[in-house]
Formats: sequence, C-alpha cells, structure tokens
Amino acid sequence: MAFVWPIGGGKGGSGKSFLTSSLGRLSAKAGKKTLIIDLDLGAANLHTLVGVPYPEKGFSDFLQKRIPLLEDTVIKTPFENLFLISGARDNFDIANLPYAQKMKTLRAIAKLDYDRILLDLGAGTSFNTLDFFLISQNGIFITTPEPTSIENVYRLIRSIYFRLIRYCFTAPEFKSLGEEIENRFGEGAANRPDTIMNAVALLHPDRYEKLQDELASFRFKLVINQMRRYDNASLGPQIGRMVEKHLGLHLEFAGNVAYDDHVHDAICQQASFVDRYPYTKTALDLKELSRQIVEHAGRQLSLRDI
Amino acid sequence: MPKNFERMNYYEMLDIGPAAAAFEIRHAYNAARQIYASGSLVSYSFFSGEEREKILSLIETAYQTLINEGTRKQYNEELVRRGELEVKDDASAAKKTMGIFDIKRGPCTMVTLPGRDVLKDKIERSETIGTILQQEDIYGADLKKIRTELGVELEHIAQMTKIRVDYLKHIEEDAIGFLPAPVFLKGFLKSYLKCLCLEPVEEISGRYMGTVARSGGG
Repeated sequence: MAFVWPIGGGKGGSGKSFLTSSLGRLSAKAGKKTLIIDLDLGAANLHTLVGVPYPEKGFSDFLQKRIPLLEDTVIKTPFENLFLISGARDNFDIANLPYAQKMKTLRAIAKLDYDRILLDLGAGTSFNTLDFFLISQNGIFITTPEPTSIENVYRLIRSIYFRLIRYCFTAPEFKSLGEEIENRFGEGAANRPDTIMNAVALLHPDRYEKLQDELASFRFKLVINQMRRYDNASLGPQIGRMVEKHLGLHLEFAGNVAYDDHVHDAICQQASFVDRYPYTKTALDLKELSRQIVEHAGRQLSLRDI
Repeated sequence: MPKNFERMNYYEMLDIGPAAAAFEIRHAYNAARQIYASGSLVSYSFFSGEEREKILSLIETAYQTLINEGTRKQYNEELVRRGELEVKDDASAAKKTMGIFDIKRGPCTMVTLPGRDVLKDKIERSETIGTILQQEDIYGADLKKIRTELGVELEHIAQMTKIRVDYLKHIEEDAIGFLPAPVFLKGFLKSYLKCLCLEPVEEISGRYMGTVARSGGG
C-alpha cells in the first residue's frame, strides 16, 4: 500500500505545487520511489516545476479512457525515482469531475504501487478537492502567514470537517438533519460545527460514536510557507492548538518554510529549487519537512474505505 | 468533538493544569489573548465577531478568577462540587515559586570537615595512627585506615581538594595501574594529607611515594 500525502491550501500562491514538487524531489532523493499527481484539475502546472514542460500524456487520458490504467499515465521526470501524473492537456470541463469518475480515480490512486504519493490539490473547497484530500488521513495544509491565506485554509478545514460528517449519512438523511437543526437551533445553525455535532449526538447517537472515532483518526499537518524573518514563528503551533480545541481535529504543526527570493528565480529558470539552492534556509526547512514524510510514513493509518 | 468552549472550566479555557502557579496563569492568559484578540492572525476569520467577543470575555473572567487567590479557592471548591476537580489532600499542592539561589535544594549538600584542632587532637591520641605513621612503608590502605579512624568521608576530601573521588579511591586501594603520573600523584597526596592534618606532609608523602615506586618496580 502506498503512503499518500495530499497537499491542499488556499488560493494561488500559497505554495501547494512548489511544496509538492520540492517534497517529491527530496523524497525521491532519499531513495523512495515517489509519484506526484497534479490534481489541480483545470489549472495544472506541476509538470513545469519538475522539468517536464510538455507532458505527452496525463490524468485526462485516464478520465477520457484513452489510457485504461492510471499507472500507464505515469511519466518519468528528469530526476531519478521521481514520477509524475500530469494534469495538463485536459479538456476545459475537466475541473468538474462527475462522481463516478472521481470514485474511479480515488480507487485507482489507492492501488498505485509507489513508496510515496503526493497529491497536488487545487485551491478552493470543491467536492473534488475535499474528497481527494480525504483519501488519506495525513493531509497537509499549507498557508502563508497572511490573513487572506489563513482565511482560505480555515475555510478548507471547516469544509473538510463538514465533508467528514456528511460521509456518515445518506443524502436524504443529511438533508433532514439539516432541517432539524435549523428548526431547533435557529437559522444558520447548520453551519456551525458545534451545533451540528450536538444535533448528531441527539438524533443519531449511534453515528455520533462512529463520527467521533472518524474525526479523531485524522492526523492533519500544517505547514506555514513564506515565513519572513519578522513573522510570528509560533503562528503554526497556535493555529494547531486552536483548531484542535475548537474543532477537535488533530492538526499537527509540521514546520515553517522560510521566504526566499531564490524560489522565484528557480521557478523562472524551471529548475528544481532544492537542487539549485540546497543550502538556503528555505531548502533546509523543506528538507526537515521531507524527513517527516520520508521517515515517519509508518505512522500513517490505513486508507479510507472508498 | 471537544467540549464547547463555554462549557470548559477556566483551567481548560486557559490550557493549564489545576495546580498552575500565578505566573503560569498570567502566561497562559497572555497566550490566549494573542490567539483570540480581534487583530490576531491566528484566529483570523475562524470566529464570527460575536463568538470572538464571547470567548474573550470568558478568558478575561477566567483570568480574573484564577489570578486572585480568594476567588480561585472558591472556584476550585465549586469545581470539586461539580466533580470536575479532585480534592487534594495537600492544600498547598499549588506550585510555589522557587528561588534560583536556594542552595538548600537539591542533593548536593556542602559538608564541613571537623575542625583542624579536633583532627590534630584525634591524631595525637589515636594509637593506630601513631603506629602507622612510624612505619617505613606507607600504603594506600594505611591512609584509608587513618581516614576512617578520623571519621572523614572520602567525598569530603574530594570536595575540599577538588580531586576526583575515583583517583582518591585508586590511591587508597593501591591500584597502581590506575594512579596518575608521579608528579600529579605527589600533589594529590599532599592535598590529601593536608586535608587530614597529617604532618609533616613532605616527609609522609615522600615515604608513600617510595613505597609506590618499590611496589610498582617489583
């Protein structure tokens, strides 16, 4: 079974693709057969970061059934041990993946034979992103220390929280639960995690237990990217503690990644940042992060039943 | 699902244990303010304005209650009644501040040797010490006998002379293979003898060195 690490975050610029490519590169360097998948459907660009400007095949070929097996869409990168499923060359309606295709994709990803699989997810809180994020219990959230980015990441965390609750019910059940909550607690109450959980405990005590176990089983990680020297370095731990306290989701702070103009240079030169500038603070931060992914993967819980 | 913030007790709100000292409470309060204050980046957009205000006022109440010893005691009693806090046998279980320079704390205690006069008096009166000091050869074992006779601990000598205990032990056990170079050994021995007020230092140490040289050579 592969160890899957989905990487998600706010709108463009928080560093999802950069983090995916860098961690992929470092994990490959450490001798793990690593696959990175560009699931930013409709806005794919991961291939450019790993030196494959013109991918000859990709994820869309699998969806369009031009290539029947997902593993056949994998392409090699210039780096040893690092493989890519590109999201480029897709049709323009690909961003809206129908349910059946999404399920097919999730199952196919779970079956891939690699040591580490990193998923580069799109911004936003579409069901696609949420479901891909929840393929593993080790999703990584990335944000910059700016209110806009943090706002987006909180939105994503809450959406994931609701998605998890939603998984426990069938569509009609969930609808009636929502109505019941509105009736009991007033309008808008169905959007608040505490009221929704209280309602579940009240109306479906059997599910409540299961849901709590489910929520507690996740081990999300948080990365703060583009940390300037004068930024509050303890932002990450504080966010983690607050989310745990108010949502009951484990959100472990994984590390800060320093801001560096060289990242821009490396991307413009289409070179791997960690190879071109290996001794910058940023590269060392990334190495530290990659160590968690390369070494501690043993702690990963099993993939969700799909 | 974690407890609703409003239903947490004040200790849980501030993330501290029930035995927290005043400075810990203050620290936790400041940390909480940093997280929940309206301009804070940490909780930006996480709460609605209403929720935030509620949380902040709860934290304020928690802090005001816990930082005052009288109200804290009342509150603890209330928690005990609610069954959220166990009664401590030791009422003063709450941590007290501890001075950094409190030399009485810790296992290291300063020892004082018996006074010089006392030692000299003992040496004069003791027969065993007298006979040992008459001997041509003085071994480490003899030194040990004298020391025990005087009731001085090896650790005391180590503390006074700053010579490591294991070296002193090697000397007393005649572990010739482990002894330091003669120049150091002589110095060590003189300090040892001075510590026990054995005189004349030069002469006794000379006899000991001779003994060591002979047994080392033989």
